[in-house]
Amino acid sequence: MMQNPIGQAMSNSQIADAVHTAPTGMAPTIAGRPRSRWGRLVPNLVLILSAIYFIAPLLTLARFSLQNVPTILLGWDTLFDKWSLSGVTAVFKEEQFWVSLRLSLKLAGGTVLLTLLMLLPTAIWVHLKVPRARAFVEFLTVLPYMIPAIALVAGIVIIKPHARWFLNSELSLIPFYVVLALPFTYRSFDAGLKAIDLRTLVDASRSLGSGWLSTVTRVLIPNLRTSIISASFLTAAVVMGEYTLADTLLIESLPPFQQKFTGREPQAGYGLNLLALLSTTLLFVLLSVLTKKRDRKRKSFASVSARLAMSREQGL
Amino acid sequence: MTTLDYISVRKTFGATVALHSFDLDVKEGELITLLGPSGCGKTTALRITAGFEFADSGAVLVGGSDITRTPAHKRNMGMVFQSYSLFPNLSVANNVDFGLRTRGIDKHTRHQRVAEMLELVELTAFADRYPHQLSGGQAQRVALARALAVQPQVLLLDEPLSALDAKVRTNLRDEIRRIQTEVGITTLFVTHDQEEALAISDRICVMSQGRVEQLGTPTEVYRHPTTAFVARFVGSMNEFAAEVSGPGEVSIGGRRFGVPKVGDRQQGTAVSLLVRPEDLEITTDGFPGTVASVTFQGSTTLVGVRLDVLDQLVSVDVGQGAADGLQIGDRTHVTVNGSNAVCEGA
Repeated sequence: MMQNPIGQAMSNSQIADAVHTAPTGMAPTIAGRPRSRWGRLVPNLVLILSAIYFIAPLLTLARFSLQNVPTILLGWDTLFDKWSLSGVTAVFKEEQFWVSLRLSLKLAGGTVLLTLLMLLPTAIWVHLKVPRARAFVEFLTVLPYMIPAIALVAGIVIIKPHARWFLNSELSLIPFYVVLALPFTYRSFDAGLKAIDLRTLVDASRSLGSGWLSTVTRVLIPNLRTSIISASFLTAAVVMGEYTLADTLLIESLPPFQQKFTGREPQAGYGLNLLALLSTTLLFVLLSVLTKKRDRKRKSFASVSARLAMSREQGL
Repeated sequence: MTTLDYISVRKTFGATVALHSFDLDVKEGELITLLGPSGCGKTTALRITAGFEFADSGAVLVGGSDITRTPAHKRNMGMVFQSYSLFPNLSVANNVDFGLRTRGIDKHTRHQRVAEMLELVELTAFADRYPHQLSGGQAQRVALARALAVQPQVLLLDEPLSALDAKVRTNLRDEIRRIQTEVGITTLFVTHDQEEALAISDRICVMSQGRVEQLGTPTEVYRHPTTAFVARFVGSMNEFAAEVSGPGEVSIGGRRFGVPKVGDRQQGTAVSLLVRPEDLEITTDGFPGTVASVTFQGSTTLVGVRLDVLDQLVSVDVGQGAADGLQIGDRTHVTVNGSNAVCEGA
C-alpha cells in the first residue's frame, strides 16, 4: 500500500491525484519509484550518440560534395568557405548519367510491375488456398538474403549460352531483380494480407456476384494499397541501388555508372550519392505521409474483422 | 420467394466427414436455423449453399434448379458473415451498392435501391460513413442491407450476431426477424446459440457430427426433443439414473413417474431420464433435499437443490416470485413431471 508523506495509507484515486498534482520539477515515477537523473540521461545519451553515428558521415559527405575546398583543408576554419551546388549538378552534364538513369528507371518500373503481377496473386493464393504453406513460402522468399547476388550471376553465366536472345537485353535484369527484392516485397504483401480478413472479404465479394478479377481489383487491391505502395517503393529502391548483377553482366544501369563516375570525378560522384540518398529519403517520407493517416483508420476496422475471423478459425 | 432443398448432400475434408447425407427442405419465405456445436457441419452446409464449397455428392436445389456446381458469383445468394465483412475502402452506401454495380444495374435504380435498403435497416443517416465509423451492430445491419440489395433468392446468415454484445445482439436478432418477415425471403441462419435459434426461427434443424438430429419448430425441438443429444443441447437438462418400472413408467430412487417416452423398453431396463428445470417443481412432498443455490434470472429464478436420496444436484426453474423466501440451506422437496422427459439408454 502506498503511503502519503505523513504515513497514511492512500487509495487508488488518491494515488492518481497525487501523480497528477506532482510538482513539475519532480521526475516521473515508475511504480512509485522516482527515476534517477542517470535513468533519464542514459537513454537520451544513447539516442544522441546514435544520431551522431548516422548523421556525421552524411554531413561530411555533404561537405565533401558541396564545398570546393581540397579535402586536406576541410576543417573548422573552412566550414563556411566556397559552398556550391556544382558538385551535385556536375553529373547532370554527363550524357551517360541520363542513359543510365533512364535504364534504371525502366528496370525499376518493370521490376515493380512484374513483382505485382506475379507476387500479389501468389501471396493471395497462398493465404487463401494453402495457408499451411505460408511458412515454406516465407522461407523461399528469404533465400535471396542468404544466397549472395554473385552466386546468382554464376547461375546466369551458365545458362547464358542457351538464352542469349533474352540475356543480351538490358531488361533481362528484371526477373533477377524480382528475385532479389523478394524478401522485402513478399513480407510487405504478407503483412497487408494478415491485417485484413481476406477470406471473408473474398467470400463477401463473390457472394455479391464478383468474379476473381473483379474481387482482386475492386476489393483486395484498394485494401492492400499501403502494402502495394510499400512493396513498390522497396522494389524500386533495391533496383536503383543494385550493383553486382548489373556490373558483372556489363549492363550500365545507375549504380555501375555511379561507381565509374565516382572513380573519375570523386567530388561529383559523392554529390550524386548524396542526391540519391536525399531522393530516396524524400520518397519514403512521401510514402509514409500518403499512406499513414487513411490507413490507420481502415486498419483498425480491418484488424477487428481479422481478429474475429482468427478467433472463429480457432473455434473461440 | 423460393425454396431451398438439399438432397443427400455429402462433404468430406480429407478423412473428416463434415456432412453425411444431409437432407433438408426450406419452404418459401421460411427462416430455418442450423443449430449445433462447433464442427457439426452447419457452416459447411451454409458454405455449400453459397458456393464457397462444393458437395462431394448429392444436390442443392434453389427453386427447383440444381445449383450444386454453380460458382459462388453466379448464384443469387445474399450472405451476412460473422466477422464484419464490409469493404473497409467503401462508404456504407457504396458497400450496399457493390452487388448492384457488379450486376450492371443502371445508376438511377441503384441509388433508389441503396436508399430503400438503408431505410429498411434504419441507417439512412450513415450512408456516407465508412465501416470504421460504425459500431458492430450498425456494421452488421449494413451487411444485411448489402446482402438484401441484390434481391437474392436465398439469404444466408452465418452467425451474424456472435461478435456483438448481449443487448445489441438481442436488438439485431429481432430486427433481422422483422426484416426477413417484411421482405419475405427464404433464409438459412447458422448459429450455435440455442436461445438465438429458438427466438428467431420458423423451424430449427439441430445438427451433430454432420447429421440432422431433429428438424422441427422451436417448440417441438424444445418441448419434444427426439434424441438425448437435442435434449441436452437445446436448453438445460437434469439427468436422473432411472429404471423402467412398467409401460410408460420409470422409477427413480424407488418413486414412480409416468414417462410417455419410455417406448417399448423392457421392465427393469436401466435408463437415463432427462428432465428440464421447468419440469421439476418445489413442493411439500417428493424427493427431500437442501437448497444449494438461488440464482435470480429476471423473469425466472433457478434453484439448485441437492437431493438427499440420490445425492444429486438438480436445477429447478421456479418462475417469477415463487422462489421468494427460499434461502441456501433451507430444506425442501422436489417432484418430477415426466410428461416431457426424454429417456436414453437400452
